[in-house]
Amino acid sequence: MGVSASKVIEVTNLAKSYGTIKAVDGISFEVAQGEVFGMLGPNGAGKTTTIEIVEGLRTADGGSATVLGMDVSKHTRAVKERIGVQSQSPALFPGLKVREMIKFFRRLYKKSVPTSHIIELASLQESQNVLFRNLSGGQQQRLSVALAFVSDPDIIFLDEPTTGLDPQARRAMWEVIETFQRAGKTVVLTTHYMEEAQRLCDRIAIMDYGKIIALDSPQRLIESNIKESAIQFKMNEYPGDQVITGLPDVSKVIREGDDIIVYTNNIPSAISGLLGMASQRSAELSELSVRQATLEDVFLKMTGKRIRD
Amino acid sequence: MRAFGAVFVARYQQFIRDRAALFFSFAFPIIFILLFGWAFQNMGTQTFKVGLADEGSPLTTTYITIGLNSVVLEGDVKMFKTEPGDLDDLRAKLEKGDLDAVIEIPAGMDTLAARGASDNVQVYYDASQTVNQQMLIPALSQVISAIDQQIARYTPPIGMNPQSVQSHQLRYIDFLLPGILGMTLMFIGVQGGLPVIQQRQAHIIKRLGSTPLRRSTLVMGDLLFRMIVILASAALIILVGRLVFDVQMVGNWLSLCGIILLGSLVFVSLGYLIAALVKTQESALPVVQIVNLPMMILSGTFFSVASMPAFIEPLIKILPLTYVNDALRQIMVSGTPLHSMTTDIAVLAAWAVACLAITIRFFKWD
Repeated sequence: MGVSASKVIEVTNLAKSYGTIKAVDGISFEVAQGEVFGMLGPNGAGKTTTIEIVEGLRTADGGSATVLGMDVSKHTRAVKERIGVQSQSPALFPGLKVREMIKFFRRLYKKSVPTSHIIELASLQESQNVLFRNLSGGQQQRLSVALAFVSDPDIIFLDEPTTGLDPQARRAMWEVIETFQRAGKTVVLTTHYMEEAQRLCDRIAIMDYGKIIALDSPQRLIESNIKESAIQFKMNEYPGDQVITGLPDVSKVIREGDDIIVYTNNIPSAISGLLGMASQRSAELSELSVRQATLEDVFLKMTGKRIRD
Repeated sequence: MRAFGAVFVARYQQFIRDRAALFFSFAFPIIFILLFGWAFQNMGTQTFKVGLADEGSPLTTTYITIGLNSVVLEGDVKMFKTEPGDLDDLRAKLEKGDLDAVIEIPAGMDTLAARGASDNVQVYYDASQTVNQQMLIPALSQVISAIDQQIARYTPPIGMNPQSVQSHQLRYIDFLLPGILGMTLMFIGVQGGLPVIQQRQAHIIKRLGSTPLRRSTLVMGDLLFRMIVILASAALIILVGRLVFDVQMVGNWLSLCGIILLGSLVFVSLGYLIAALVKTQESALPVVQIVNLPMMILSGTFFSVASMPAFIEPLIKILPLTYVNDALRQIMVSGTPLHSMTTDIAVLAAWAVACLAITIRFFKWD
């Protein structure tokens, strides 16, 4: 997205503490109109708190958040009329039918899209008279996301929109989001799926301990952080970090449970070093694979954690 | 207004699918009325033998004798058979079960009015005969207070109109129905805190917080719906009582509505108070029971508060249901006007204000 596009979200020095814990520690970012903006980070990094302040659900201790030119803390209701929100858990009335739920939410806004449109978005044509509590987990999730579109909003906030969906439903959801974006609307998204972030997001902010530690397009995040390729394998007996980094052309090693990930600029040289070391120690290498670095590797490198933890 | 309607409709749609809520709001009170009404149907024509021990006030003793003998039940049956005698002899008969109650009229009662003093007659009865006491003690106290009023007005009590006493003849169902009514107001009101906790726990209130819906609209829509449920339930209880058992309603209908609304407000506030202090539904359920059950038993729903042991009296006197039941019963059974029950109204108003103040102070939306 070009810098010339108008900014629909501007966050400046935003801060929020719970007791002595700084959940959001003075962060700033902007989101342009028509952009899909991703927020990644381990649990507790401050993503949800940040989003909830921007949505007007929480008040910040410091800094400011402006949405569609309005200060959220002052024009909270006006902002809420023009945004759509999907929360992490499908928090809806268990005793309402799908159609009743949509009608309920439509009545909360000044303008709204037709009920049938939301039913279609959620692919719940067959279940529109089923009680929410009798829907499957995936159906509940789809309704929860579709309801974010009920007011024909300018910006939607999606907190892990595809968690709990099967791959087919996940792809369908991506198409919904991309259609929304093509209409010139803006999306703010958190996700645990790297593939999803890489496909959907124009820019990604990686958060950890209440701060934004990186903010760029997915491609540039990878290129500027990891120039190497990754070799991933298992070993029945780990010799220690020093032994592995001592091998030729190995720049870094990370252990992820049973997996060992080695970064290198020279794949043949690194592999032959690893194999030699293994036969010397009578150890066995298994499940060896070589791949380009991904967002997951960037995330691991920056936070020391896997994104799903 | 649209949002208010949305909240109201959503509450209704959920309520009609909630079998437990429907049961406690409508079926439960009706079952109680029918069961107790039929079980004690014949108690209205039961007669009582009352011993009168004159300890030196012959005039008052005569008044009371005439008063008791003038209470006539259906079929011209006298409700009380009086037996004058010595206090010790009469009490011995009471213990043997030959008498239902003994009234001791102390010396000096005859000149009380002239002296501007007051004193009590002493009533002895078998407290284990609980069900009898439901009718006996209230009926006795009605007769005695009627005599009392006559004396206070310096009018000879002999001229007392027996018809007026007869119209106040109290059957158990007449006593019970206002109690069931009060108990139901309590059940619906206090249990109303549970959906609030459930919605908060399931993050539904938070989800609604991201829409333009005002919290005040959410509360008002919820409140109005629950008031309508309470009024519908109260109307049903009174209707069944009148149609099936011809239950008494001596007082003013508007006063009755007023007390029903005030009582509902107290218990709805109590429900919100629980929602403010308790975080999870699992822990709220026992709290609701702890609030409801003692009141249901102690506050004069099924038994007169007067038949409770003295040591529980301080507890009974702070429970709001005691005052709701008393006020409802006074209106329905005695026709007491609102301005004569300022204590009940003041205590209930204080409860409502206290509950709402604590709720506002401690309630958390997420």
